[in-house]
Parts: sequence; structure tokens; C-alpha cells
Amino acid sequence: MTTAQITEPQPQTARKPFYFNTSEHLLRISREKATTLAELLEALRRCPSDSVFQHTFRTLQEHHFIRQGFSNDFAHWALSKCNEPALGERLAGVDVREFTAIEDLRGHLVSILESYVLQNPTAAARPAQEPFYFCAADIVVLPTDFIPDTLAGFVDGLKRVSLHSIHHHFIEARLRLKLMSNDFSQWLLEEMSLPDAARSVNRIDIYTATMENVRQQIIRIVERALR
Amino acid sequence: MKPMEQLTESITSEPSQLGSAPVDHSQRPVTAPTRRSAPGDKQPLRDFRTPPAPPPPPHLDDYQSVIGQANLDALRFLARDLKGKTVKMVNSTAVGGGVAEMLNRLVPLLTELEVATHWDVITGGNDFFEVTKAFHNALQGNDYQLTKHAQEIFLMYNEQNRQRMQFPEDMVVIHDPQPAALVRARRDTSSHWVWRCHIDLSHPHPQVWDFLRTFVEQFDAAIFSSQSFSRQLPILQYLFYPCIDPLSEKNKELDDSTIQAVCDEFKIDRSRPIVTQVSRFDRAKDPVGVIQAYKLAKKYVDCQLVMAGGGATDDPEGAAVLQEVKVAADNDPDIIILDLPPWCALEINALQRASTLVVQKSIKEGFGLTVTEALWKGKPTIAGAVGGIPNQIIHKLTGVLVHSVEGCGYQIRYLLTHPDFARRLGENGREHVKENFLMTTNVKRWLLLFRILSGNQTVSLP
Repeated sequence: MTTAQITEPQPQTARKPFYFNTSEHLLRISREKATTLAELLEALRRCPSDSVFQHTFRTLQEHHFIRQGFSNDFAHWALSKCNEPALGERLAGVDVREFTAIEDLRGHLVSILESYVLQNPTAAARPAQEPFYFCAADIVVLPTDFIPDTLAGFVDGLKRVSLHSIHHHFIEARLRLKLMSNDFSQWLLEEMSLPDAARSVNRIDIYTATMENVRQQIIRIVERALR
Repeated sequence: MKPMEQLTESITSEPSQLGSAPVDHSQRPVTAPTRRSAPGDKQPLRDFRTPPAPPPPPHLDDYQSVIGQANLDALRFLARDLKGKTVKMVNSTAVGGGVAEMLNRLVPLLTELEVATHWDVITGGNDFFEVTKAFHNALQGNDYQLTKHAQEIFLMYNEQNRQRMQFPEDMVVIHDPQPAALVRARRDTSSHWVWRCHIDLSHPHPQVWDFLRTFVEQFDAAIFSSQSFSRQLPILQYLFYPCIDPLSEKNKELDDSTIQAVCDEFKIDRSRPIVTQVSRFDRAKDPVGVIQAYKLAKKYVDCQLVMAGGGATDDPEGAAVLQEVKVAADNDPDIIILDLPPWCALEINALQRASTLVVQKSIKEGFGLTVTEALWKGKPTIAGAVGGIPNQIIHKLTGVLVHSVEGCGYQIRYLLTHPDFARRLGENGREHVKENFLMTTNVKRWLLLFRILSGNQTVSLP
């Protein structure tokens, strides 16, 4: 055995491993329904918070394969069923990652709708092509077999978990963490002392990439850090 | 009348036996498809006039190549806490129809996941099924005069089935209105009862719905196939989209030689664009409108139109619609009209895969599983914005929605001349199906529901 082999640096090991989990959702049909923008506003004010979550955070998971042109269900309905592109654009511009509490997100959506309805009373009362049906989801969080404590193991987990797991840790996490961050970045920062990689991961734009693209971008960032 | 023990058909949940559940095609005369043949034709893949033996149902691991190991693992994790729980599924037919087809796949998969699942089928006389067929149509909006006699027949057969069937399971799932009154067998809250409604209740006949509603409200939860099909109810309502099996004859991957052989058989030229609608010959599918749209597009782009369907041999209205289609086609050699028997799943699969575009220009629709099939094959799809189709086609993202012959004709032209956009729609459509409309997703929804009903914890929003 050579000296070089003996002194090969050992990979850094985290004090706390990364527990890859995944979340699965069962859609419930809620009572609220809107047939006009004015009704949407009223329903959005009073619907349960899990409905707001469903039509913003969760719908991104359902439509993870769309790279461009889909942001949340309210924006999509305003554009495609109410033919109100200006409102659709404003609602689509809401980035869920800027919110760490659902009630703040609701408040922001309500304020956009309120101002539009006030300025466009005719459009607000016009029946949509199809109603907006509010839904919500029952959520079950599941463990996976991947519990890495090294960067190499972390990359392996990233490659092998489902896209639901990526969504769970990368997008839904900020509601859990109450931070403008995500589980991956937090682990890279706190356990691996990689602030640049953590920051780069957190800057990935989910609205111009599919969730598979997001996964690949995270892998590339972490692999660069590994080198 | 036979005692109910004999009338009640009980189906084992053993996968091997379910896979070979008999398919009775004997009642259905076969008409050769309307197609041209030429001397020297290649031998067809098989004689499509004869129903093939059904293949054995797939096992869970067979889906690994479709959904990936991580998603299979999630199913196994979900099932882990349900070991020892028992489930009964009850519907009104063992063969034929989408519900039986779905149960034929679902029950073996749940059983393989060690969620013991038993499938029972209710029985009744012709009078019962006449009443339930009328209820079915009325609940979907048709006119009907609900009589006391019809109610008595419905209740009598439900009562007979109730007396003869046992319900010791932890979870009982009743499919559709026919067996809904079995919920009266429920004795306490130790078991959980779910009503799975496969039909569109958006505009039900008020009297029939009022009658049925008294039973529906006794369940713990109701499941609908689309938000728009549901009703306001005092019980939990869940959304389970219908699904396709990616490993079935109709949806499995095919090699190119099989696709070519089917095209050769039906004289379809694969070197030119192919636009296809797969549907029964039924006015709700607007087949004449499809031909009009094709003719509008054909002024600008070369293409062939394949109209593949059935229902013209055993349904007088279907035969009349087929005749209208032939008249509208006006002997255009590029319009290929195929009246196929119902067991031609492989041929339908090949036709869809050979297509450049798929059209489903329905003016009334249930969920529209032919759209799901086309999307799964990565085909750019143009469809009427009706029924459950908007759940599948997000306009300009997973396909295009149309509302008129003119719109359909324009979209055929546009997609045939913008192949990159068409390809992106097809890719998104396939991913949409993979995420939401596959049999494995359906299994996951059932496991989630059983866990939730069993009191397994769900996560609250932070």
C-alpha cells in the first residue's frame, strides 16, 4: 500500500445526516367554488389555509414538468377561464418562495385580486367559462431509504429520490423552516459549511425550470462543491 | 329466483385468477373494419375478429421501468401501516366497462401490497338493471320519471344483496349508484364506508339524486373523478382521477414493426402526417365535426385522417352515426374509417402511436380516457373542452382545447406545421399522465385514503 493511499483525505461527515423524506397528497374537494373573479376573491378570503397551499405550493408539484407558463391555479384560471391576462400575469408573478407563512401568501393574493376587482368591476362580475373549484390536500410524509451523512451520499440521494421528495425539501420546506431557504441549503450550510453552495441552491428559479431540471441543477452545484 | 348465495358473484383477489377474468364477447357480433385491402397484403399481426386471451395482470415490480424505484418504494411505505387491514370493493359487473377493468388491475396490486382486498359483485334481475341504467342516465342529466315502483325494485335488490353479503372488512368501497343502498348494512363506525362515484353528477335529475343522496350521506366519504362532477355533500369528498394502465395492451410500449404491421393492415401511410380520433361512433364525440375540421386543415397541409371506433355493430344509433361519417368522408381516400371490435386494444395502441396528432373533439364527455391514452403516448392532442378533458389538457401546455370545428381545423394546421411546439405539448402531456393518471397513482390514492380513514396521521400545515 502506498503512502498516498494511506493519507487520502476522508470525506467530511455531517454531525446530522440528511434525512430524505417525501410527501404524498390526497386531494379533497372543498366547499368553496367561484364563478366570477369577485366570487374568487370572497372565497379566497374565507377558504381554509390548506386550500391556499393546494392551489399555490402543491399545484407546482402536480405540474412539476412544466417549464414555462404555469405558476399557480388562481393565475391560470384568471387567464384561461376569465380571459383576464393582466390579472393572470400579476397573480402568476407571485413567487411562493417569498412566503414562509400561508396567511401572508393569502394576504398578498387577496390584495392583488382586490385591487383588480375594484378597478375592473365589469370583469369582476363576468361569469367565467368554468367555475374555480377549491380543493385541499391531506398530506402524508414518508421516509425514504436515503440518509446520507456525506456529500457523495447526498448527491446519490438527490439522484435517486422521487421528484415529490425534491419538492418536499426544496419548496414546501420554507413553510416548515419559516426561513427564506430550503432543507438542502440549510444542510449544506449547517452540516457541510458550504455557504456558497447553499446560496446557489437557494437561488434556483423554480418558475423557469421543471422539477427535474431543479434536481439536476442542485446535483451540479453539490458536485462542484465536492470537487 | 335463485338464492342470493348463488346470485352473488364473489371474485377472489388472487392476481392470477383476476387476470384471467372471463371477458364475454359472445354477445357482440363482429364487423370487419371498413378498410381497403389489396392483393399481396402483409399478414396481419393476428386475426382481430377473434378476442385474444387476456394476458396475466402485471405485478408491482413490472411498473418500476415506468414510474421508477422511488415511486414504487413510496407505495410500499404507504402500504406498510395498512398490513392486516381488510378492504372490500363492491360494484355491479365483473366484466366489461371501465370500473371492472380498473378493479381487475387495482385489486391484485393492493393484494400484492398485503392490503387484503376482496371484490364482490352485486346481482339482480333484468328489472333491477333496467332501473339502474335509467338512474345512471338520469343522474347524468337525462329526463326521467322516477316512480315508486322503480325505487322499490332498486331497494329490493340492494336489500337482497345486503342480506347475503358479509361486511366484516375494515374498509368498504361501493362503486357507483347501483349498490349504494348497501350502506344500510353498516352497523357501527368501526368500519369505514366510501362511495366511489364514477359518473358525472354535475347536473343530476333532482328526484333521482334526492333519492340516492339519502344513501350517499351515510358514507364516510365520497370520491369523484373531477371537481366538476361533484355535489355539495355533508361528508368528505375526494378527487380520484380515472386512470390508465401503462402495461395494458392498449398502452404498453410497442416496437416499430408492430406499429408498421397495423398501419400496413389498415393501409395507413406512415410517411405522411396522420391525424387520428379514437372513439365510439357516437354523436357526442362529433365524428362528423372531426371530418369537417380535417377538410379545413387539408386545404393547407397534407394529412390523412383515421377515425377508429366501435359501437356500430350492436347499437342502431352507432350504425347510423357510422353512416353519417361515411357520407361526410365522401370517399376521400385519405380518410380511413375503422369500425373495430372492442378487443382490438393492441391495434388502437398502434394507431395512436403511429399518429402525428390525436384529436378528441367531443361535445359531451365523461373523463375522456382516450385523451389520457394519447397523452401517455406523447402525442400532441387537440380536444373539446368538455367533461374531464380540461383536467388533462392544460391549454397550450399539455395539449390544446378547442370549442368549434374551425378551432379544431386551425389547431390541426398549426400543430402539423409547428412540430417543435407539438413535440413539447406531447412531452408535457406524457408527464402529466405519469404524475396524475396512471394506475400506480390510483393505487397510491387508495392507500392514502385507507391510511387517512384508519386514523394514520396526516401532516398539518405549519
